[in-house]
Amino acid sequence: MSYLDQSIREIHRALVERKTTPLDLVKEALARAKANKDNAFEMILEEEAIAFASTLTEPEEDNLLWGIPYLAKDNFSTKDLETTASSNVLSGYKPLFDATVIKKLHEKKCVLIGKTTLDELAMGGTGTTGHKGVTYNPYDPSHQRMVGGSSCGSAAAVAAGIVPFALGSDTGDSVRKPASYAGLVGMKPTWGRISRYGLFPFAPSLDHVGFFTRSADDNAIVLSALAGRDDMDSTSSTKPVDDYAAATPANLSGKRIAVIQEIVDSVTNPDLKASFDRSIAALKEAGAVVDFVTFGLPELQAIYPTYIVISCAEATSNDANLDGIKFGPFRGGKTYQEVMSNARTAGFSELIKRRFVIGSFALMRENQDVLFLRAQKVRAKIVAKVNEILENHDVIYVPAAPGVAPMIASSSDKLSNEYLIADNHLALGNFAGLPSITLPLTLIHGLPVGINFMGRAFEEKELLSIAEAFEQISGLSGLSTQENKEARL
Amino acid sequence: MKEINLDVLRDAANRLLFDMSDEEYRTLLEEFGVLTRQMETIGRIEGLEGFEPMTFPFNCETDYLREDEPETPLAREEALRNAGSVQDNEIKLPKVVL
Repeated sequence: MSYLDQSIREIHRALVERKTTPLDLVKEALARAKANKDNAFEMILEEEAIAFASTLTEPEEDNLLWGIPYLAKDNFSTKDLETTASSNVLSGYKPLFDATVIKKLHEKKCVLIGKTTLDELAMGGTGTTGHKGVTYNPYDPSHQRMVGGSSCGSAAAVAAGIVPFALGSDTGDSVRKPASYAGLVGMKPTWGRISRYGLFPFAPSLDHVGFFTRSADDNAIVLSALAGRDDMDSTSSTKPVDDYAAATPANLSGKRIAVIQEIVDSVTNPDLKASFDRSIAALKEAGAVVDFVTFGLPELQAIYPTYIVISCAEATSNDANLDGIKFGPFRGGKTYQEVMSNARTAGFSELIKRRFVIGSFALMRENQDVLFLRAQKVRAKIVAKVNEILENHDVIYVPAAPGVAPMIASSSDKLSNEYLIADNHLALGNFAGLPSITLPLTLIHGLPVGINFMGRAFEEKELLSIAEAFEQISGLSGLSTQENKEARL
Repeated sequence: MKEINLDVLRDAANRLLFDMSDEEYRTLLEEFGVLTRQMETIGRIEGLEGFEPMTFPFNCETDYLREDEPETPLAREEALRNAGSVQDNEIKLPKVVL
């Protein structure tokens, strides 16, 4: 097995014992990136990565991330490197600074080997709407299945074993849903736990930095590196940061786990239902107390409309600065309004324009009460219910998606009358700002599908401990297309 | 709620400073039909009287003030580096007052 396919702790040990070097790891990661056919990359940073890795010659024993190659979604600002958020409106834009998370990982001597694709401006869930086209699921070499989005390139690259971890962002489920489709551990911590400085905003009341790894322990190590207050982000929390990397598998005996009945009921895939039932039995056998709780069907059905109204309204306002004047392609015009209009008309795809119009419509004076403000109140009610459940439970446990990765041909970027609670409930974590982690549950005909745990605010260490205990049950820690695993559930 | 038709949508798009093709506006109008039905699910949620519009997950109290220390501002060339229309060290746009 290549060192690149091992856990971060195992790679670290090999680096410290000088069995491999950052340069070896980076060269192998670059070779895999260049050979990959899943359309996961906005750019591969071969020269920069090799130059930086070459300087890393003295292993840092107490730094688990020393010399580890990684990838970042292309909506994180990277100084002097083109950053487009997979949108033509930002073609050629080279930020003047690094996002705080990029800076922190550089200080940890992690090696950025490339930037990954996303749904345009992170506004999508299929991985099919970025300016480079569809990103494919590495578990389906015939390229018929999506990997999900919006953090599609990061999910595809970690699942393909190119790097041990990659950064993503999560506004509705953009890390945790692709993690399910790609057999990965995908986490978004508590809102405010990680600085968002330098992350292109989509909907700031819902946006989170997230990341993909192949195990819960790797996830804890990455969170330890990223968490903490940043004066450049006024919404980042001043709460003390736990030593997440010290998390060990929880003793599940006596842990109280809530399962939301209506979400489970909305799953129709029989293989997933059976596997989820087996996981409940295994959790109980390990001593956990599993309670099926009802949430309220109308509230669960309101999740997606509430999300669409709030996120589109916030995005409409946030992206007003994408005007082709200070950055992005300048397309000329007779008036300054025409300059902006020309840049925006040519720069945004149709989907983004439709989302912006929806947001603008929700904010119109005549509509604000019945749309935007009402959606914000519905959000408050939904969040109150989530917090009520967590008053008596350590975590909420649900399937992360209604099934395995959907076929690309069946996907649509248009709003649909078909509404499935199981496809939209992960936004609960964004509404409430709670830490939420997706883990592989099983493989169905060779395709992975995941579950999700959501915990209390700022209790990531507890959540990660439970996640590590779950991995001992599922047997799928370390899953990638390079590493076949036997599913137990 | 404001009545939705092609003119309203075109006006909304133009206020946002972009335009779309006729076909794209028709797609958007259809999408609004779906959206309106979905909005009805929001309208059906009862008992909202006790809830304030939620703008952020948590209250963030930030009383941070940076130290009063001199900093080097962004260099002019840097600030202009990403702008596509620059003349005499300034971003150039069409005249506002003709």
